[in-house]
Amino acid sequence: MNIQVILFKIIPVLLFLSGIIFSNKAIAQVDSTAAKDSALLKQVEQQMQANTPPTTPPQQNRSGISANPDIGVVADFRGAYISQGKKNFDAYLNETEVSFQSVVDPYIRADFFVSFARDPDTHKYGVTIEEGYLTTLSLPAKLQLKVGKFREAVGKINPTHPHALPFVDLPNAFVNYFGEDGLNDEGASLSWLLPNKAFYQEFVFQATSGAESSPSFFRGDNNRFIYLGHLKNFFTLTDNATLEFGLTGISGPNDSSRVTNIGAADITYKWKPVQMNTYKSLTWQNEFFYSNAKYTANEMLNSFGLYSFVEYQISKRWFLTGRYDYAQKPFDKNIVEQAYSLTAGWLATEFQKIEFEGKQTNVNVQQDYCQFWLRWIFVIGAHGAHQY
Amino acid sequence: MRMVHTNIKNNLKQIMKKIIIIFSLSLIIISGVTAAPIKVVTTTMDLRSITEMIGGNKVSVLSIATGYQNPHFVDPKPSYIMSLSNADLFVTVGLDLETGWSPQLVASSRNAKIQKGSPGYVDASEGVALLQVPSSVNRGEGDIHIYGNPHYWLDPMNGKIIARNIANGLERIDPSNKSFYEANLQTFSARVDTKLKEWTTKMAPFRGSKIIAYHNEWVYFEKRFGLEIVDFMEPKPGIPPSPSQLVKVINEVTANKIKVIISSPYFTTSSSDVVSKQTGVKVLTLATSTGAFNDVKNYFDLFDYDVERLVAVLK
Repeated sequence: MNIQVILFKIIPVLLFLSGIIFSNKAIAQVDSTAAKDSALLKQVEQQMQANTPPTTPPQQNRSGISANPDIGVVADFRGAYISQGKKNFDAYLNETEVSFQSVVDPYIRADFFVSFARDPDTHKYGVTIEEGYLTTLSLPAKLQLKVGKFREAVGKINPTHPHALPFVDLPNAFVNYFGEDGLNDEGASLSWLLPNKAFYQEFVFQATSGAESSPSFFRGDNNRFIYLGHLKNFFTLTDNATLEFGLTGISGPNDSSRVTNIGAADITYKWKPVQMNTYKSLTWQNEFFYSNAKYTANEMLNSFGLYSFVEYQISKRWFLTGRYDYAQKPFDKNIVEQAYSLTAGWLATEFQKIEFEGKQTNVNVQQDYCQFWLRWIFVIGAHGAHQY
Repeated sequence: MRMVHTNIKNNLKQIMKKIIIIFSLSLIIISGVTAAPIKVVTTTMDLRSITEMIGGNKVSVLSIATGYQNPHFVDPKPSYIMSLSNADLFVTVGLDLETGWSPQLVASSRNAKIQKGSPGYVDASEGVALLQVPSSVNRGEGDIHIYGNPHYWLDPMNGKIIARNIANGLERIDPSNKSFYEANLQTFSARVDTKLKEWTTKMAPFRGSKIIAYHNEWVYFEKRFGLEIVDFMEPKPGIPPSPSQLVKVINEVTANKIKVIISSPYFTTSSSDVVSKQTGVKVLTLATSTGAFNDVKNYFDLFDYDVERLVAVLK
């Protein structure tokens, strides 16, 4: 074998072998690079997953849309003390009010307030329709009709649900004329927004069938109704201050089948700085009542009563209210009550408030007495705005 | 005879002249009457500003809330009913922002044109991609909004959606001027785009900046400009700052080297000032609405004002 033959035979074999070796090495290199890449990729993916903020669910309106009315429950729990009588202390769930409110159709809305209340005399709970009425939304000529059972438009206290008042008890004069439940009756109410561009003026006329339990009026067997007229005047004095002045006249049958006439006036001044309206405010509210009741053919009983209160908001959550009451008894104007009360209110949120009231009552024909109340009001569900 | 005829002719000419003058005058008067502006009542000043830009001289706009007032808590004064009773269009932020006052006012207005569902009722939130929509409603979490956070106008891009909704409302009740409103809408949207570039450029260096806010009303602004609200002065929406919350915020400010607490004109800064004294963080009262301050006269000024002041503090 010469060298050339050997070289020609050996070189291809060497080349082949080296080729195999190189190729194997290359394959090994590719494999190791791929392995490294896939590991890196995994690491990157892992890091990416770790760094990726949790995907937020698609923004959707999740509130259940339904045709159900707005439903709310207001509960009023009380502790009470009175310095006279045998039972001085008491604690009770005074009232649970369930409201159902909704627009009925493009023409009317409906509001129902069902009250589960404790009878102050029997201490038993009963169910009553506190209010249930429809209100028109589209009458012409700035008219609005309300039909059903409703708190009548006597000044300021009567149309307001008690839980929205800044004191626990009701003013003496108001209770003497309209009772603890106020003038709350079935019938129709037509209100007219007067075309007065200078200030807000509204006239309300109501005809109702007669309250079941009212000291002044009686629901008789005959076809006699209670008629009420109320003129509301509202002035914007400044951005922060308003003044409301109202006049009310009521006429209706009493329990002697004769007529009782009541004239009332209300005047309210409110100050509330627009910018900081959740921190500071002041309300000075007054109502005057004059009753002229005919009980016999020759006897006319006249009496007078008033209350005046100042509510001052000390801070975002604290309110202080001082009130003075003067009331002649409707059946005998010589019996005169005078009362002084102070209420401290703490509003945790819009849905919970606690109030503590102390009241001293002086009656000219009996011994003076004092009362204390603790009221805890809480709301669940929907709760609409109260009147300004 | 000829003289008489000439006189009659002259008289007739004079009468015709008078008739033409009277007719022209009456036309002017009638056209003046028909061109009476559309009366719009909005719940907030931002809606008023955008309505004025879309409606131009064809609208007269009144806002119930001022720009420096908490829009959650507006007193439903009867005087507002007077304005609503004569309104042709009512524009609301919606999403329950005004639930404590505007539904009662609208229901008392005796105005069928602006009741919900009527052509004159505009819910400006329609079509807005809402943030913080709760999956359940629990008032234990504070004053939450069941439909989502309602402060959406604080993202200028949502301003374009608001403007679209307002234009739709105006076109429903005044279709003859549709092209006018559409042209104004285009101008408004183009201006938003231009200004947004300017605002985002100014805010770009501060993307990711951590801040504290008093109330949860900045989420749309936060998202748009890339800020990160770490916590709120209120422990829960609507609940006043508690001592424990202040301690928490002080620790967060220190740990994250936070430079600013942003608040609104209708909140007291007393609690924020406490944190400021402890940490040196600045307290900045920003505009949440048009009209919040004298310089904030329209919707664009609102972002000019806020961006300028934030940039100055975050530098």
